[in-house]
Amino acid sequence: MYIHAGIVLGVIVLVFALARFLKLSTELAMLGAALAGLIVHGLVVPSRELVGAFAWFEVPRHIVDGAFTYFDVVLIFLTATLFMNLLKDAGGVAYIVRGIVRRFHRHRALALLFLTVVMLIPGALTGSGTVTVLVVGALVGTVLAYMGVSEVRVTAIVFMCAAMSAAAPPINLWAMMAAAGSNMPYVGFFLPLGVLSVLGALFSMFYLGWKGTPIDLEQIMTELPKPPRGMRWWKVVVPFVVLFGLIAAGRVWPWAMPVLGLPLMFMIAAAIVVLTNLGQLRLIKVISDTVEQLLPLVGVMVVVGILVQVMALSGARGLISLGIVTMPLVAIFATLFIILPVSEGLIQYAVAPLIGVPLILLFNMKGFNPIIALAGMAAMWPIGDMLPPTSVVGRATVMILGFKGRYYSGFAKTCLVPAAFVLLLGSLFVVFSSRLGFLVGG
Amino acid sequence: MRLNKEWTIKGIAMAVTGTILVLAGIAFAQHRNFKEEVVLGPGVTTVRTLGDYFAPLKGGPNDANVFILGSGEPGGTMLVLGASHPEEPATSLTAHLLVENATVEQGKLIVVIHSNPSASTVTRPGDAYPRFFHIETDWGVKRFRMGDRWANPLDSWPDPETYVHFPSGQLLAYMDVRNLNRTWPGRANGSLAEQTCYAFMRLIEAEGVDLVIDLHEAELEYPIIGTIVAHQNGLRIAAMASMTLTAEEFRIGMEISPLALHGLSHREIGDHSNAPAFLAETPQPFLDRVRGITDESLLLTGKDEFVMKAGEHGLLYWPIDEDGWPIDVRVGRHCSTILSIAGFWTMFNRSKPLVVTGVPRYADVVAEGVGRFFADPRGARAQVVLE
Amino acid sequence: MAVMVLYYVITALFTVILVRNFIKTRDVQKGILYLTVLMPFVLRLFRLK
Ligand SMILES: [Zn+2]
Repeated sequence: MYIHAGIVLGVIVLVFALARFLKLSTELAMLGAALAGLIVHGLVVPSRELVGAFAWFEVPRHIVDGAFTYFDVVLIFLTATLFMNLLKDAGGVAYIVRGIVRRFHRHRALALLFLTVVMLIPGALTGSGTVTVLVVGALVGTVLAYMGVSEVRVTAIVFMCAAMSAAAPPINLWAMMAAAGSNMPYVGFFLPLGVLSVLGALFSMFYLGWKGTPIDLEQIMTELPKPPRGMRWWKVVVPFVVLFGLIAAGRVWPWAMPVLGLPLMFMIAAAIVVLTNLGQLRLIKVISDTVEQLLPLVGVMVVVGILVQVMALSGARGLISLGIVTMPLVAIFATLFIILPVSEGLIQYAVAPLIGVPLILLFNMKGFNPIIALAGMAAMWPIGDMLPPTSVVGRATVMILGFKGRYYSGFAKTCLVPAAFVLLLGSLFVVFSSRLGFLVGG
Repeated sequence: MRLNKEWTIKGIAMAVTGTILVLAGIAFAQHRNFKEEVVLGPGVTTVRTLGDYFAPLKGGPNDANVFILGSGEPGGTMLVLGASHPEEPATSLTAHLLVENATVEQGKLIVVIHSNPSASTVTRPGDAYPRFFHIETDWGVKRFRMGDRWANPLDSWPDPETYVHFPSGQLLAYMDVRNLNRTWPGRANGSLAEQTCYAFMRLIEAEGVDLVIDLHEAELEYPIIGTIVAHQNGLRIAAMASMTLTAEEFRIGMEISPLALHGLSHREIGDHSNAPAFLAETPQPFLDRVRGITDESLLLTGKDEFVMKAGEHGLLYWPIDEDGWPIDVRVGRHCSTILSIAGFWTMFNRSKPLVVTGVPRYADVVAEGVGRFFADPRGARAQVVLE
Repeated sequence: MAVMVLYYVITALFTVILVRNFIKTRDVQKGILYLTVLMPFVLRLFRLK
C-alpha cells in the first residue's frame, strides 16, 4: 500500500512539475497531474481481496465526482463576485472611496481605518483576495499614493489587505473546505477569523501607510474615477442591507423564512444593483467578465476536487494524512509558519483538504480547539498567495497597480514585516487554541 | 491558420469532455436508479411506505419502504432504522437481513432498510466511494448501492446559509440540513431530511413504537465508536445489553446521549416521544481519513495498513489489526445488539414482551457470512420488494 | 421548490456564460479550463448528479 500510494503520489508530483515546466497554467498542470495519477492508479493497482481488476468504466465517473466536490462553494463564489462587480460597474465603489477621502482627508488615522474596511469587504463576502484586488485595489491604491505612501508600500498594503480580506469571515474558503472535509460544522469561525483578519489588515495598513504626506483634496478628486450622475449613497447601501437582512432573517426566523442559500441571496442583492441602476450597467459584459476573472479560481477549485478524488481513490491522500498526523506536534507548530504559506503557493486551495483536514483531526485528538486552530491556519494560508509558483493574488496586485519595481526584493520584501506579524499571530492561535475557546461564539 | 489550430485543440477538448460527461452521466444514472431486491421473509405481515404516515412524502425520493413484522400477539413494538447514513453499509445490510429472516413471536418489529433513501442514490464527491458493493450468497452475487451521508442535492437543493436546528435553535453546518441524524425530530415543512424525520415521528406515534434502534458505523478516528448511545430513558437496557454482549460475544461500550447535542436520533426521539432511542455504532475503517486505497475491498474487509499505522501511533479510538473489520463482523455485531436490546426490553417490560426469532447472532453471521442470510429473489415463492 | 427552480436558473445562466466565454476565448489553456469547469454545471442541469 505504501509503495502503491507512493508511486501515484510521485506521478502526480512529477507530471505537475513537468507541466509547469512546459508553461501550462497551474490549474491545467494540476488537472494533468490528477488524470495521470488516476490512470497510473488503474494500471498498477495491486490485487485486492474480493474485487476483480480495476474497472476503467469508473474513470470518467471519478473525474466528474471530483469536479463536484466544491460545487456549492463555486456557486457562492461566482454569485458573490458578480454582485461586487455589478456594484463596481455602477460606480458604487468609486462613490464610497471618494466619500471617504472627502470626509477624512484631514484625519490620516480615520482615512486609513476606512480604507482598511473597504479593502476587507469584497474578500470577506467572496472569500477571494483576487476579487478584493480587482474590485477595490486600484482605487485604494490611488488614494494611498496621494497620501504620500511609496509605490512599493502601496503594493504591499493592497496585497496584505487583500490576503486578510480572503481570511475574513463570513466566507473563508480554506476554513470552509477543511471543515467540510473533517465533518465539522462551519460554525463559530466568525469571531476568531474576524480578530485575526482585522488585526492583520490594520497592522499592515498602519505599519506601511502611516508615514506620508497630507492629502491634496483638489488633485485627488480629479484623479479618482467619477461615479455616474445618478449615483446616490442609498444605491450602495440598500443592496448590502438586503443581503445582510436576508442572512439575518434566516438566523432570526429560520423556520418561517424559506431557505434561500447564499448564492440566491447574492443574486437578489445583484438584482437590486441592476434595478437601481437601470440602463447604466453593461449586464452581459459584467457577467462574462466576472466568469473570466474567476476562471483561474473556480478552475482551481474544480481541479482540486478532481485531484482530491484521485488521491483518495489511490491512497495518496491517506499517505499524506498519515505523514502529517504522525509528525511530532512540536515540529508541526515550529514549522507551520513556513509549511502553510509555501504549500498554498504550491497547490492553492488543495491545502485545505490535503493538509488542513489531517491537522485538524490531529489537533482535535490532542485536545486543542479545532475551530480556533483552523481559524489560525486559515489566516496564514492567504499569505502564501504571493509565493511561487502560483502567486495568484501577488501577481494580480502588481498587475492592477502597475507596479514597476522588483517582485521579490521590492514588493515581497516590503510585505515581510506585516506577513511575519500575521504568521506569528496565526501560530499563536493554533498553539494556544484551547485557551482561546471563548472566541467561538458566533 | 492560427484560428484553425486553436479550434482543433478546442474541438478535441470538447470531444474528450463530452465523452467523459456521457460516460459519467450513465454511471450516475445507473447508480441513482438501481433497486435492491428485498425478498419478504416469513415474518413480514405488511409493507407500507413512509408516505402513509406523512402524505407529502408519498411518491417522493424519501417515501421509504416500511416493513412491518407482526405476531398477532400483544407486546412491545420496536423500530429499527437502517442506513440513516447510507455510507455505513453494515446498517442497511442488517436491516435487510432482519426483513428476510426475522419472525416475531410476541409484539411487533418495524424495519426500515434505507431511512434516507435519497442519500443512498448519490456518491460522495471527492471521496472516491465505489457505487456498488456485492455480497456472495448461496445462489449468486447480490448487489447493493453504496451511498453518502447526506441526501442527494438533486432532491434537496439549496442548503441554508447556516442550518438552524428545529426546535432547539442550535446552529449546525449547512449541509447537515440533509443529514438524517441531525434533523430529528423533524419539521413538516422543512428540508427533505427534516420532513423524513417528521414522518418517522408520526410513524412512531401511529404504530405505538416503544423503542427505536438507529444503526450506524463510524471511523476509528471518531470517539463515538463500538458503543450503544442511549437516551436517558433507555439507560438500564443499554447498560445491560452492553454488559452481557461484552461478557458473552464482543466488546461494546455504552454512552449516555448528551443533553445539549441536538438533532441526533438518540436525543430527539427520546425527548419527543415515549420511545427510548438507542444508537448502535460499529467500526468501519473505510470512513477513516488516513485510509489507503478506497474501494469495495476496503468497504467489505475493513483491512487497511494506513489505518493500522495510525493505530500504532495511538491516534485511534478503536483497535484494528491485520484482520480488519469485515462486513460479516459488523453486521453480526448489529444483529446481536438488536436482539440483546429486545431481550432486555422484554425483561424490564413484562407486560409488553418483544420476542424475535430467526435472526442470527454475532457468531452465526461471522461463521456463515452475511450472504448466507439473503434469499434468492428468483426463487420459486419469493415475494420481492424493490428498495 | 420554487427556490430549487431558481437554482437551476442560476446554474443555467452561468453555464451559458461559460460556454460563451469558451467559444470566444483565444487562449487554448483557458478553453480547456472552461470545459473542465462546465462539467459539474452540465450534469447538474441535466439532473444527473
Ligand atoms: Zn452514521
